[in-house]
Amino acid sequence: MNPFREAWQSIVRRDPLSTDKGKSELVFLNVWLHIHPAKVKKENLKVKHTFYLGFITFFLFLILVTTGVALMVYYRPQSPQAYQDMKDLQFVVYLGTFLRNMHRWAAHGMVICVFLHMCRVFYTGSYKRPRQFNWVIGVVLFLLTLGLSFTGYLLPWDQLAFWAITVGTNIGSYAPLMGARIRELLLGGHTVGESALLRFYVLHVAVLPALITLFTMVHFWRMRKDGGLSRPVWKLDQDEPAQLVTIGAPATIAPLAAVPASQDKTYGLMEVVTGRPIFETVSMEEEEDAVFSYPYAFFREGIALLVTVATVMAVSLFWKAPLEELANPAKTPNPAKAPWYFLGLQELVSHSALLGGVIVPTLAVLALIAIPYIDSNPSRRPADRKWAIRAFTLFVVVNVVLIIVGTFFRGPGWAFVPPWVHIAGAE
Amino acid sequence: MERRLPQFFFALSMIVLALMLGAIWQAGSPTWKTYQQEFHRLEAVGEPNAAAKSDVVNAALVIRQDLLPGLQRVDRCTTCHLGAEDPTMKNAPQPFAFHANLAPHIPARFGCTVCHGGQGLATDKQNAHGKVPFWQEPLLPREYIRASCGRCHKEGEVPGVPELADGRRLFETQGCRGCHKLNGVGGTIGPDLTEEGAIRRFPEWLERHFLDPNAVSRNSPMPNFHFTKEQARALTFYMLSLTSEQMGTYYSSVRLIPSASYGRELFVEKNCIACHSIGGVGAKNGPDLGQAAKQHSPGWLDEQLVNPQLIYPGSTMPAYDLETNARKAIIAFMASATAEDAQSILAQRTKPLTPEDAAIEAGKQSFARFGCVGCHGLQLQGGVPNPNSQGGEVPSLLHASDDYTKEEVIKIIQNGKVPPVENTAKPAAPLYMPPWKSVLTDEDIHRIADYLWSLQKKKDAW
Repeated sequence: MNPFREAWQSIVRRDPLSTDKGKSELVFLNVWLHIHPAKVKKENLKVKHTFYLGFITFFLFLILVTTGVALMVYYRPQSPQAYQDMKDLQFVVYLGTFLRNMHRWAAHGMVICVFLHMCRVFYTGSYKRPRQFNWVIGVVLFLLTLGLSFTGYLLPWDQLAFWAITVGTNIGSYAPLMGARIRELLLGGHTVGESALLRFYVLHVAVLPALITLFTMVHFWRMRKDGGLSRPVWKLDQDEPAQLVTIGAPATIAPLAAVPASQDKTYGLMEVVTGRPIFETVSMEEEEDAVFSYPYAFFREGIALLVTVATVMAVSLFWKAPLEELANPAKTPNPAKAPWYFLGLQELVSHSALLGGVIVPTLAVLALIAIPYIDSNPSRRPADRKWAIRAFTLFVVVNVVLIIVGTFFRGPGWAFVPPWVHIAGAE
Repeated sequence: MERRLPQFFFALSMIVLALMLGAIWQAGSPTWKTYQQEFHRLEAVGEPNAAAKSDVVNAALVIRQDLLPGLQRVDRCTTCHLGAEDPTMKNAPQPFAFHANLAPHIPARFGCTVCHGGQGLATDKQNAHGKVPFWQEPLLPREYIRASCGRCHKEGEVPGVPELADGRRLFETQGCRGCHKLNGVGGTIGPDLTEEGAIRRFPEWLERHFLDPNAVSRNSPMPNFHFTKEQARALTFYMLSLTSEQMGTYYSSVRLIPSASYGRELFVEKNCIACHSIGGVGAKNGPDLGQAAKQHSPGWLDEQLVNPQLIYPGSTMPAYDLETNARKAIIAFMASATAEDAQSILAQRTKPLTPEDAAIEAGKQSFARFGCVGCHGLQLQGGVPNPNSQGGEVPSLLHASDDYTKEEVIKIIQNGKVPPVENTAKPAAPLYMPPWKSVLTDEDIHRIADYLWSLQKKKDAW
């Protein structure tokens, strides 16, 4: 036997991809791919259903880990070396500027995509039973993403970084009782300084990435266990209500789960334990709709990955990551602004520190977490959930408007200054 | 659609590959490599044979940098400015020209940017010359480079840069501290100047500003002092030298030997002859300084100048707040001074001093040093415009005794005073009397009041 062929076979250990068995084995014999089902419903892969926003967010995270590890090689979390290292990336390290640009733009992109992904999940009603808790994990991932972006914001140690973190952590200190203490713990002092830089660095390269990895694993695992990609809303009308059988419990107490009944199926012990069918193809209609993950899902995901990488690279070729002067605690820019995704918050704080800085954002986060539990409406059809959609749209619009006002319409002294008005003397 | 997926995937892979090549193309060949190759060709001209020529032309291209921990800098200027220390490059074009008169400030110890400005870490022309946003020290124009000497040589005369000492003297005598803080001492009406040479380096702006503050900064409360061009230049030099940047001990100007001639200037400026004599010539209120220089070590004299009360409690000599090198210069002058020096210093004085005048003289020194003269004038004449204050200008102090008792004046100096406005509808007057009690000692304030009272003129009778 051909030794090369044997070596290859020892690696892949599956039948040729031309066979259905090979296609299945590609998925479940491979540790990296086995989070996928062997077969997926073709309609669920439609771009106009998910826009692949979850995938894109994950791919941006992969870009951030890759570029971030490369950047760590050149970075010292000390003052003023941190700033010098930025200059070295720009002037000495081969492709250093490009690397930093990619990291910066991918980070902003991840904040945006994670938010858009959340919107998509809401509008398609994909957080509903049994996926309620996965929505909560999603909100945690959103907050972790903001935390990663915020901690990374300080690391270049320039004026932009220093003052954005000063303003950002000041907003946090408005919280009664705990606020000032949390700020002190985070900064390792009362002002942003060398110890804050080190703490933010540790959070940025170790603690938060580890947490976000763990939560991402749970997020993916649960999604897979809950039936994979959610069903497009337009398919709901065509899906005939399945006849359900209950398993997992005697009739006297509530059943563990209700599963579609099948005429020609025997239920195994595992299915009784999990309360779910292991093989999902039941009716003839679904059989038509289901396709092998290879090539249908994998090529689409690969294309999403390539589009993400290509977009970040293209943006990084043409737009440079900002770098201002060395951080100078004695020279306050006017206005000093938090990172853009906190500018809505800063805008609120400018009206009322306690209400805008503490009560409203706390309530907003709690409300986001509680959405799947408040929204008891079982239907995913937009026509059945007009008020939910209106309320969420209002939340999104208010957020976006506040951020736009804070970013473009606030000048020295936080006065209302439209971006097209130039103020003499303001730098 | 499904059949096209692999093709689509392949096309996107090609796009990503193209973008990678684009990034590599953008990183390209940095300009410093081109400059180094050009320099190697220039060097090769002087080589005797073909083998040596090709060795020089093919020499490795490397980033050169001077690590300057004492100056907290890394300067990579010599990556392109390769001939700076090579006398054979005297007539070479920039960036390869030889830097004449460099010693002892060799790049290995001093780098380039501490004098020239610019961005030492950068390796392309525009960034290195600092003419980019967010770099606060662009390359200084040729005629202002010497001002940078003052960043290390903070005291005394700097050979070849009379402007620095002139500027410093103007700053201390024209009352700039009345409005501006420098190293923690001074008023709060104008901006703090401690970092003026480090954060806003626009020499041309500064110079025009000194000639006419309103010309470059509209509605500036700063009075027009009608400086001459030379004075404006000197002040600009001094401003450019101001920085609180910590220079390592190697660079500290304490290493410089202060000159006796600077000491003589200080001796005249501080009016030491009002109390002291040299070789028996001068006032007899204090000890003879010629004698003192012989009896005591320079270290002892230095201590005495820092705090006269420490060695002789109850001494009437004021502490003059002289900087290290200024004290050294005065001590150097004392060691070399003769009776003839004292004669010539006395001869230049308009009137001989009486013993009572000594304290008043000290008050006058403080009046100048803490910047009162900036608004109230060297002759206490006032007259600096102060729109919307009563009378529209800073009041003369020559008739203060008509309206106030001495105690009231002391209170005003201690606590400050906002001038009454003429028209409440208009914005408040820009200039006001800052409170001085946190800066000046009670003794200083009393001396200043004594000085003011010594010059009071009674209004003519009706």
